[in-house]
Amino acid sequence: MENVIEVKSLAKIFGNQTALEDVNFHVKKGETFGFLGPSGSGKTTTIKILTGQLAQTSGDAKVFQTPTSSINKPAYRKRIGVITDNSGLYSRLSIYDNLKLYCDLYDVPTKRIQEVLQMVNLTDEPKKPISKLSKGMLQRVTLARAFLHEPDLLFLDEPTSALDPANSKHIHDGLRRLNEKGTTIFLTTHDMTEAESLCNRVAFLNRGKIQLLDEPKALRRQFSDASVTLELKDGREIIVTGDAKGADAIHQYMATGQVVSIHSNEPTLGDIFVEVTGRELV
Amino acid sequence: MTFSMKRVMAIFQKDMKDLSKNIYITSTLILPLFFAFFYGRMDNLTIDVHYMVINLVLAVVTSFVQCAIIAEEKEKNTLRGLMLSPATLPEILGGKSLVSFILTIGTILICTMLTDYEPVNLSLVALAIIISILFYIALGTLMGLLSRSVVEASVLIMPVIFIFGFSSMFQPFAEEYPILSVVDYLPSIQLIEVAAAVESGSGFADVVGNLAIIFVWVLVAMVATAIVYKKREMDE
Ligand SMILES: Nc1ncnc2c1ncn2[C@@H]1O[C@H](COP(=O)(O)OP(=O)(O)OP(=O)(O)O)[C@@H](O)[C@H]1O
Ligand SMILES: [Mg+2]
Repeated sequence: MENVIEVKSLAKIFGNQTALEDVNFHVKKGETFGFLGPSGSGKTTTIKILTGQLAQTSGDAKVFQTPTSSINKPAYRKRIGVITDNSGLYSRLSIYDNLKLYCDLYDVPTKRIQEVLQMVNLTDEPKKPISKLSKGMLQRVTLARAFLHEPDLLFLDEPTSALDPANSKHIHDGLRRLNEKGTTIFLTTHDMTEAESLCNRVAFLNRGKIQLLDEPKALRRQFSDASVTLELKDGREIIVTGDAKGADAIHQYMATGQVVSIHSNEPTLGDIFVEVTGRELV
Repeated sequence: MTFSMKRVMAIFQKDMKDLSKNIYITSTLILPLFFAFFYGRMDNLTIDVHYMVINLVLAVVTSFVQCAIIAEEKEKNTLRGLMLSPATLPEILGGKSLVSFILTIGTILICTMLTDYEPVNLSLVALAIIISILFYIALGTLMGLLSRSVVEASVLIMPVIFIFGFSSMFQPFAEEYPILSVVDYLPSIQLIEVAAAVESGSGFADVVGNLAIIFVWVLVAMVATAIVYKKREMDE
């Protein structure tokens, strides 16, 4: 399968501060790839380099087999969508007028506006000026704008950081549909539930370095100790290990009818992150 | 290099709509209109007075609007979005220049109606004014690329208003301070000279030198803008 993003030995140094160090990864066509890391780990810096907004200090960054230093051409821009943490909107103009501008710039018919507003659950007041919107609504307009031209490759920098769970879920559904239609997605987040539910593969970024990269399922399997938690009728919760001894214990409790529920203790991506990096994912 | 007129027009329409709701920037239109209205109540205005109003429009409307609408895109982080779209900077600046151009023409037309200015040779005067507008748009673009916010743009425009808007006021001092004789070569003074010559019956051949001087200013401002633009392409 063709690689849409290829990054080799990428480094970025700001003054005397290293923001990225020896970063290597690739994103395959059709994938949803998650970049997880705490604040300051270099997520936005990576997106800026990949979208040609920032030059790397060393290493290779290619998008569509093209060095990102030369993707600043309309032909590439039409295939890419980007949302960063400071994507601005025109505050005096309405939601509709903001999107209309981008329809014209991307050569998309204006009837698409209604479709993207549905994707972000914002169909009520398209004529409302941007200055009157809440933070979550702003984020949804920005997302709608990035969906307009159904890009081949979509970069999303913390796409749901300002959204409530219901709207996050709505956006996630929309992202899945875009992905099914062929959009490759590169997203950064510190929300591990988001990463687990959307991403085919995730990379853990810590202090500018990738510390782990795999499918969420594989990671959980790798870091699972196979123990399970039993909830008993007398209210106790006990953890039994995933071996013969544990199996005996479960047998005992079950045979005597004491078990209310059994839960496997697979770690979440957040747990794994803490285990690998020693840092919280916030 | 591609240049899409459709994208230029998209930016133009967006900026026109946005400006119509932007009181801070459009309020600057009032200044020359006020002067025009004030002088318009007097009779037999000299060319100097007519052009004091027109030069004021060029500084306050042309350069300032151009500078401010570029600076605001940076301040509000909207320029980033445009640059990440298929729109190129020449297209973005083209759309904005069209906005400044049309506002300038409109304001000058209203002002000259208020001051009752009817040049003997309209097409020659119009040519001189249009070349001048190109200079002030380039100057506004240059300042817009240099400033990061509308407030900074308002500060940067002050010397422009002072130098180009009121340049005829420095001329009397040129005898005393020879350095001020460079004022004679300012585009604002050259424009007045063209207009005065036209009033006294001169034709194109007589004023072509003045027009050439204004045109040199256009080229200098465009080259400076291009240099600044190349330097600012990526952020660091
Ligand atoms: N323009 C800049 N100049 C200097 N240092 C910078 C610049 N941009 C980013 N940095 C530094 O690079 C590091 C990585 O920043 P980056 O914005 O990529 O983090 P992030 O992972 O996106 O964080 P967050 O989750 O808070 O958005 C930080 O230490 C930051 O201070
Ligand atoms: Mg960030």
